[in-house]
Amino acid sequence: MATPLIEIVDLYTGYNNVPVVRDLNLHVSPGEIVALLGPNGAGKTTTLLTTSGLNPIIKGDIKVFGRSIKGVRPHLIARQGLAHVLEDRALFFQLTVRENLELGSAKGTVDIDQALKYFPALQDIQGRRAGLLSGGQQQMLAMARALTSTPKVLMVDEMSLGLAPIIVENLLTILRQIVADTGAGVLLVEQHVHLALAIADRGYILSHGQLVIEGTAADLNANQRLLESSYLGGGELDAAT
Amino acid sequence: MGGRASHPAQWGAVIERSITQVARWVVAALGIATAAFVLLDAEYRHHFLTGSGVAQGALIAAVALGVMLTYRGSGVVNFANGVIAMYVAYVYTVLRRDGDLFLPPLPNPLSVIEGIVHQFQPHDTFHLPDIPTQISFGNGLSFWPALAISLAFCIVLGLVLHFFVFRPLRFAPPIAKVVASVGLFLLLEATVIRRFGTRPIAVKPIPFLKKTTQMNLGFIKLNQEQFFVGMLVIAFAALLWVLFQKTRFGLATRAAAENEKGAVVLGFSPDFLAGTNWVLSTVITGLLGIFVATSLSTIEPTVLPALIVPALTAALVGGFTSFPRTTLAAFVLGMQKPLISYLGVNKTWFPKSGDQAFPGVDRVLPFLVIVLVLYLAGDALPARGSITAGRLPFSPTPPKWALRIGGPVLGLAAAVFGLFIFSPAYRGALSNTLVGVIICLSVVVITGFVGQISLAQMAFAGISAFIVSHLSSEHGWPFPLPIFAGAIVALVIGLLVALPALRVRGVNLAIVTFAFAVAVDDMIFKNNSVNGGFKQALVKAPDWIDPNQPKQRKIFGLIAGDGKLPNPTTAIFCLVVTVVLCYLVANLRRSTTGRQMLAMRANERAAAAAGVNVSATKLLAFAISAFIAGIGGAVIAYRSGNATPDKFDYTQSLVIFAFAYLGGISSVGGAIAGGFLVAGGLVFTFLQQSLGVPPEFTLLLGGLGLVITAIQNPEGIAGRLRTDGLRLKAKFQKPRSPSSAPTTAAPLVDTGSP
Repeated sequence: MATPLIEIVDLYTGYNNVPVVRDLNLHVSPGEIVALLGPNGAGKTTTLLTTSGLNPIIKGDIKVFGRSIKGVRPHLIARQGLAHVLEDRALFFQLTVRENLELGSAKGTVDIDQALKYFPALQDIQGRRAGLLSGGQQQMLAMARALTSTPKVLMVDEMSLGLAPIIVENLLTILRQIVADTGAGVLLVEQHVHLALAIADRGYILSHGQLVIEGTAADLNANQRLLESSYLGGGELDAAT
Repeated sequence: MGGRASHPAQWGAVIERSITQVARWVVAALGIATAAFVLLDAEYRHHFLTGSGVAQGALIAAVALGVMLTYRGSGVVNFANGVIAMYVAYVYTVLRRDGDLFLPPLPNPLSVIEGIVHQFQPHDTFHLPDIPTQISFGNGLSFWPALAISLAFCIVLGLVLHFFVFRPLRFAPPIAKVVASVGLFLLLEATVIRRFGTRPIAVKPIPFLKKTTQMNLGFIKLNQEQFFVGMLVIAFAALLWVLFQKTRFGLATRAAAENEKGAVVLGFSPDFLAGTNWVLSTVITGLLGIFVATSLSTIEPTVLPALIVPALTAALVGGFTSFPRTTLAAFVLGMQKPLISYLGVNKTWFPKSGDQAFPGVDRVLPFLVIVLVLYLAGDALPARGSITAGRLPFSPTPPKWALRIGGPVLGLAAAVFGLFIFSPAYRGALSNTLVGVIICLSVVVITGFVGQISLAQMAFAGISAFIVSHLSSEHGWPFPLPIFAGAIVALVIGLLVALPALRVRGVNLAIVTFAFAVAVDDMIFKNNSVNGGFKQALVKAPDWIDPNQPKQRKIFGLIAGDGKLPNPTTAIFCLVVTVVLCYLVANLRRSTTGRQMLAMRANERAAAAAGVNVSATKLLAFAISAFIAGIGGAVIAYRSGNATPDKFDYTQSLVIFAFAYLGGISSVGGAIAGGFLVAGGLVFTFLQQSLGVPPEFTLLLGGLGLVITAIQNPEGIAGRLRTDGLRLKAKFQKPRSPSSAPTTAAPLVDTGSP
């Protein structure tokens, strides 16, 4: 098996040295979409932030492209080919769509045309300031900006936040297409469990900072009751684990 | 926020908005009319378009451009940028004159050890090596090598400031950054004064620029030097505009300024961007500082630092983003100076004071512009989205034991020491400390409780002090009436200054208040009809307060005082006022109003949503703070027997803010700690009298301490003692009763005592 793009080993991470995520193991390989699911406060976003280096590791390790990220400053992790679409999209509202795309990679090589191919809706509004875009357009821009650096692995945090399900479905389909075209790996945090599992290859479900179940998307989809109890808590879970 | 007022409740907002709109038009129209008049009238034009005005404007522009760069690169509004211009100009001047590169402050720490040893044995028996304080390049250098070394120095300075001061403050609240830059201001200024004194030093001319060669550009006549600096600034502004509009570096800086996290995940290093902008800033500021110093022919440590006010004004006009607008505003602000001094001398309608032109009018203009811009444009500074925004230090509720035991014990101890034990030097220091506590209290209320940065507390104090002087000596008001009159006037003026504070906050407000302090300093305190000129503004105090009545008294059968100056009961007067104010502020913190203030400090919108009247509370806080500062000023006047402008100039406002922050800005205990630290206070007197540290170290140590506190220990001394005390207590309590909840227990060592 090839080296995973992201490999999280026995990870403890959180805030102010208080762990939020405990003992997490997870990996993402090239060409697959991995969904990281779980109820609010499960530690999904924290896991992604830690993988980007924006949050410190308390215990355990994270390897990106086979190398530990411990002590590596976040912008250098990004430059290795890890793109992260943050939960709040982190767009530069004062800059135009085009300028946002030009800043897609600090290394200076940005493939804007490629990114626009996936999001043709952005084509005609390149001169507009990012702050003036609608929620859906902003999410597209955030994804497109991440793609301009032709990343080897893409982490997408809650792309559905504030968007209608139909738009989310659309974006997820595009994500599948990107993976098929570029062979990148995707780590996807998503609230819409069924939409996510519909396009993901595998899934991990976190609850209260701990891994509850993992498996292929098909398996998880098949085991509806287990899924539900991992969100709601309950006896089913104990029986299964 | 709909466009139509469909509900009566929205009408107020709509009316306010349309008033703002109208006001904007009126101001714009007035501005254009004034500009047209000045440019069309031959006499006005002649005195507006002057070479010296251009040079002045160029320097303001350079300082402003530097401020904008550091703001955009790292979110720091650098109040010290004018001082940086001066510092670099000094470096260059001394390189030209002596060929020596003088090294940064570093007061020789060994001198403290020397001083202690010298208390016990003769001076010539014990000597520690001096730290080298300069690098010599031989005799005076010629222009180019001196310039090259100066610029290299700028680069190093920029890097040092970034890596050792402002990078560690990346995640700190804006106030900590302001404090650090104020510390830098004091540190660099004190270094220059310590090295070169306050007398002007001649600057050697630049070989290829001649003062004597006049150039006539048709609309303006200037000499070569002035032409050159003007062109240089315009070139820099154009360059920066290109850099920020057309290059990836500029784009990335703008992006990181807006959303740091977003820039990081794309692979940009905010650290690199900030550092580069710092270096750019110091180089541009320093370079222009050198050229302008040359065109002024001399350099002295008091002129350039104050230029930060017009520079900040210009930067605000440019919204901290537009280089061309800022440069234009800077030139206007520089060029109005010669015009106004001309008008002051030659026009009968110009406001007069005595038979002299009213002083400082040219300094008031920046203040008015700042107030107008901020009021009309709202928050002019674009907010920065950093990864985490730090919080202000914790503001503890004064514990009961402190109010019931700590306060009285401390007060009694101060009284006993002041009356019976202290030597004259320490008696004076005690009064200074007590007065310092009062002013620090005023900072605690406005900054510690409400989170509004005011850099004008000594201006309020000074207004009150001069009123006390006039009322007591000229109008014969009996003690203590002038104190209340002075404090109430300070309060009213505080409310006026607070009006812009209703719309601006944070660093913007710091700029407003700083400009106010400078304007008051120049217009009122330096005005001879206020400060009495040679006669001084004397204060008529009752015998027991008058510092020049060193009588011995019998108190409880003991003899107080040794018949020497200062009067021992002067300190008692200060003590009584201080204790009363400490209890008032402590009770304010415990009251509902205090809690509302803290709620506002945390989040104005949330506080408003919870039913706090934000405007009223803010005004109240300003009123209380200015009132306390006013009482402080009155006490200073009484305890010194006079009111002098140097006690209340704008640097003093910075210094007191610094010491309040050092002590701990959010508690009464912090104000007390700050009072101990003030210049001439107990700690420094101890250092001087008992450890032999020379007095000129006061500002150096203050500045350095401030920078370090801002970085290392944002809670201040009081906060530190408190947390350490809690930790100690937890340690001791654990083995005894691990189950008892310590929630209701009072902290063991809380200097939050009133």
